[in-house]
Amino acid sequence: MDNLVVLIPLLPFSAAVLVATGYITGYIKGEASESSTATIVNWAINMSCLLAFTLLGADLLHKNRGSLSLGSWLSSDDLNIEINFITHGFNVILAALFSLILSIILRFSVNYMHRETGFHRFFAIISLFAAAMLFLVLSGNALGSFFGWEIAGLCSYLLILYTYQRPSASVNATRVFITNRFGDIGFILGISLTVAWTGSANWLDLPRLAAELSTSEATAIALCFSLAAFTKSAQVPFTPWLARAMEGPTPSSTVFYGSVMISAGVYLVCMLEPIFEKAPFAMAVLIVIGAITAIHSYWVGLTQTDIKSSLAYATAGQLGLMFVECGLGYWSLAIWHLCAHAIVRCYSFLTAPSLMHSVKNNPIKPIHPAIAKIQWAYTASLQRFWLDQLADWMLVRPIRRLAHDLSYFDDHVVNHLMGIPTPTINAISSLAELEEKLLGAHPEHSQRPFTSGSGIAGKITSGFAGVVHWFEDRFILRGIGKDALHLGRQLGRIANKFELLVLRPRYLVLFILTTLLLAF
Amino acid sequence: MSPTHYPFLSIIILWPIFGAMATSLVSDIKLSKRIALGTAIIECILTLLVLGLFNSTEGNIYQLVEHYPWIPRLNIHYALGVDGISILFLPMTALLTLSAIIASWNSVQQLHRQHFALLLVLAGTTIGVFAAIDTMLFFLFWELTLPPFFFLMGLWGIGPKRRSAAMKYTLFMLFGGVPLLFGILILAMNHATAVNGPLPEALSFDLIKLLETPLADHLQLVVFSLFLLGFSAKAPLVPFHTWLPTATMEGPTQVTALLIGLKLGLYGILRLALPLAPEAAVQYSWALGILGAITLVYTGLIASQQTNLRRLLAYASISHVGLVLIGIASLTPQGLQGALFQLVNFTLISSSLMLIAGFIQHRLGSTETLHLGGLASVMPKLTCFYFLFMFASIALPGTSGFPAELLLIFGALNTHHSLGITALVGAVLSAAYMLAYSRRAFLGPVTRTAIHQLHDLRPREIGLLSVPALLIIILGFAPAVLLKVNETAIDAWLTHLLEPTKVERNEIAQLNKP
Repeated sequence: MDNLVVLIPLLPFSAAVLVATGYITGYIKGEASESSTATIVNWAINMSCLLAFTLLGADLLHKNRGSLSLGSWLSSDDLNIEINFITHGFNVILAALFSLILSIILRFSVNYMHRETGFHRFFAIISLFAAAMLFLVLSGNALGSFFGWEIAGLCSYLLILYTYQRPSASVNATRVFITNRFGDIGFILGISLTVAWTGSANWLDLPRLAAELSTSEATAIALCFSLAAFTKSAQVPFTPWLARAMEGPTPSSTVFYGSVMISAGVYLVCMLEPIFEKAPFAMAVLIVIGAITAIHSYWVGLTQTDIKSSLAYATAGQLGLMFVECGLGYWSLAIWHLCAHAIVRCYSFLTAPSLMHSVKNNPIKPIHPAIAKIQWAYTASLQRFWLDQLADWMLVRPIRRLAHDLSYFDDHVVNHLMGIPTPTINAISSLAELEEKLLGAHPEHSQRPFTSGSGIAGKITSGFAGVVHWFEDRFILRGIGKDALHLGRQLGRIANKFELLVLRPRYLVLFILTTLLLAF
Repeated sequence: MSPTHYPFLSIIILWPIFGAMATSLVSDIKLSKRIALGTAIIECILTLLVLGLFNSTEGNIYQLVEHYPWIPRLNIHYALGVDGISILFLPMTALLTLSAIIASWNSVQQLHRQHFALLLVLAGTTIGVFAAIDTMLFFLFWELTLPPFFFLMGLWGIGPKRRSAAMKYTLFMLFGGVPLLFGILILAMNHATAVNGPLPEALSFDLIKLLETPLADHLQLVVFSLFLLGFSAKAPLVPFHTWLPTATMEGPTQVTALLIGLKLGLYGILRLALPLAPEAAVQYSWALGILGAITLVYTGLIASQQTNLRRLLAYASISHVGLVLIGIASLTPQGLQGALFQLVNFTLISSSLMLIAGFIQHRLGSTETLHLGGLASVMPKLTCFYFLFMFASIALPGTSGFPAELLLIFGALNTHHSLGITALVGAVLSAAYMLAYSRRAFLGPVTRTAIHQLHDLRPREIGLLSVPALLIIILGFAPAVLLKVNETAIDAWLTHLLEPTKVERNEIAQLNKP
């Protein structure tokens, strides 16, 4: 029965490719083709769901071998990465659950997205997402999971861009993608360290390999993967991306940020259980970050005025609790919590558009007046604890300014140092300039240099000759007078400017970072 | 007679040059264009044939070797051959030339015949650089790539300062050529001293012989730095990079696509600089890595400030050069295979993006964000291709950028942790600048009337972009196809570089024992 596992991600993937190709070549177009697109995508996901449940049944009856390898994907010297799958336990349960949720949501979307301009685009992307997500949970090694992780992130980007004509959609999508990119650093670093220290990135080998790791090594690996998990599951300080991601259509929000993709972080931590067990510090980090996120999300959630944002914060809070459970060592509780939460959140997101009907005779309860009256708490909640602004202030703006400074430096210093003297063709770029020249309007150019050179060597020679000449002319011939004073003042001003620039925090931080990297 | 006795390499070098002659001699413009196209297509087929004849299991030795005396008095030979490191560049060069010819089919306004002839000459000389195994012949082809670029940029450039850009490019390259020549001469003299022969006869420019000759200790660093200096202008590395942004702004896009798609400088570092001065290379690999890291982060940050797609692509490509250098400096099989993979990606990804920039430029007269915005709603097909190539350039899984960057980062992390982390930071930066530009140019509402009237890609342009697009996806899903070709060659390369030091270490260890 193990061989079925290949088809589970492959079917939605083929459906996505089919719809996308049809859409690009023009075979699938407009409202007329809606039913064919919907049929292809729904059939694929329903079949995968069926297969996933068959696989689950076989696993429960102990008919599975537990893993399946399809051979090598990439091999270079001692680095060998296979395409392999896990057909046992937690992964199969999650695959069955996720495929069920996905097939429900895709059926829901057929009516929800009816007559939307991006109907086919939506279905192609969400089908690709289904493939990525199922591959993520079924893959037998960390790199395969990363493959699914990234493709899922890409689909999230593309669906936030669903209405790409809206400026806010494109800004938010970019921001979300780049925030998640920080998690990718952690993921890749984690994989590389695992392979370097244990020689394998297979999930199933982890319990055996973790025993060989020292505590410090295990802590390093666990912290790298935690970074990845925290970004994907929108934990503090990455929580703001979740609210930004709500831009997409509701079915996609459900599946991405309500139940399926957002759980990937917790899934990752659960897969790494043997390594986390060896790293008490990393477990403590899980508890702290999870708890902070839970409190933060509850607090912020109190003041949200639209249903999707408040659901987003509720999700982040629940995930925070799951991380706390992982940190305390209740791994199976976290897994059950993950599954239960996925189902409940799927329901609450799908009913969000009809919220007005459900609250008609059942008004939302106001919070306790004692809490409601605390002014600063209210402001903090409204401002979402300034996390976005903090990231801007600490990271985005300094980097942007640094880039601006460097760009200036490149254009005005490096280019001049390395560049050749401006060629004569450039001297007269317009007729007006030629006229000015003929009239003698550039008196400062009248004094021609004695030498002129081209290329680095020529430039150096001519420059050196110029300096010697200037020195002799100004200092020896005319005597030390006004010029020297003027020069001194100018030098002082430049030095002041330089010092001010260097003392800016961004340069200090850059300097410290460089030193740290070199010392590492 | 077995097919390997035909001088295949000479044929693929000379064929485009003959084609160029035919192109420039025919008076009918349409016919000459067709001749150029035909020549490029046949060149592609020929290079694929050579790739087919190449036996990758023996990629560590030179194959299809041709050897004729050229200047016997100085012992200079006309020697050609390919191994696992160079073989892939031949079809890539041919493919890129074909793309450049198709891309400029209608966009060239004057001197059509000369334009296409020069592109073909460029292809011939570039393949010569990749196939030469005599250092003097290498140098000859190296310098011969200059004139076509000079004229292509100066005569058909799109910016007002095209002549100055062409001159800047040529002077930079000439500046790089001088240390290169000195390095080659020092190596030849060293061979003469090593075999104790009389001077003109005992000189050697043969790459295989030079690799076997041990280089005197005091010359190691000299040769290494001379080669590094020579190749860093072409690569380009900070601070010799300023010609590239200028060239992309002023030159015609099909030519700048060739410039950023064919990284001769990095190939030179891999082929000559490191193996010919092995001890210095091993000793100073950290310096090479730091140079790469500086190039990566410095130009990556500058790229985030760019508002013009062509300039952005120039800086992005320099930033990727830094990443490749980090991989080379790691001196691990993964890092080096990643570096070679990434060099192929330059041809597939960076140059395709540049060609897309050319299509936008041809339609709108600008690639400045100020004049763009909302292209996605007007040109969906172009946007699809653009996003595919952009995602490949930021190394998303499923595209060929991912396995290459993974190998590079893995190799770097194995030897120098900090370089690996820098490379990862570079990956975030690259996503930031590419996505930020794409957002401003392609997404959001259409604000300018000129954009409403734009035509989407024509079938010719779609066909042209489909080939690299397909290759990117195939290599992304099955990277082993490409890695198999250079596996043995890279192993041999590394053994050559690291083995002598290992032997020495063993000797020292044995001396210390009793």
